[in-house]
Amino acid sequence: MSKYDLPKKFDYKNVNLLKQFITETGKIIPARVTGVSASNQRKLTRHIKIARFLGLMPYTDMHK
Amino acid sequence: MKKYEAVIILNPNLSSKVDTFIKDFEKLLKDNTFVVKKMEDIGRRQLSYSINNHNKGHYLIFNIEGNATNLIDIENKIKYNESIIRHLFISVKEHEGEDSQLLIDSRNKKSEHEDEDKKVKNDVEVKSNEQDEKKVITEEESTEDNSSEPKEEESKDE
Repeated sequence: MSKYDLPKKFDYKNVNLLKQFITETGKIIPARVTGVSASNQRKLTRHIKIARFLGLMPYTDMHK
Repeated sequence: MKKYEAVIILNPNLSSKVDTFIKDFEKLLKDNTFVVKKMEDIGRRQLSYSINNHNKGHYLIFNIEGNATNLIDIENKIKYNESIIRHLFISVKEHEGEDSQLLIDSRNKKSEHEDEDKKVKNDVEVKSNEQDEKKVITEEESTEDNSSEPKEEESKDE
């Protein structure tokens, strides 16, 4: 069981939800740590990467 | 016909010209068989990292529907538009009818800012009232001074 309230549909626009699944340095946290199902982790990763491209989320904490 | 979500990040310095840009872009979409189902103007937002030396961006989200082949033409035209600092077309199965989370967040932020502004304004008003009172007091003092001065002069004359 996952401790997160995951919606049926992930969305790159829901930044506050996605931020729970990255570390302070901006890395995506592995599913073995968060306990998210493999299918959800794939969707999550896809949307985090879209959000990064659009400047909604950081790639790292080293951005100037 | 495919459904797409178009995200466009505009140069924040051109925020005042957004309306004209939206009109132009919608016209471009219409010329290429695209139909705009929904448009969201999210406004200026802090970027997580600087893009082309911009720290803020003006976000626009379009829900559009049209032919995939025409999308290439649109993208080719957008590429050389310097007011756009980043764009992305994502194909989706279904459009969400509801407002996106980004729009909701920006609205919440705006309302918070407005509340703060109101508070600040109230404070300023209170302060200005206090200042007025002080002014009145000083004026009264000054009038007293004036009244006392001529008397002294009179005494000197005598």
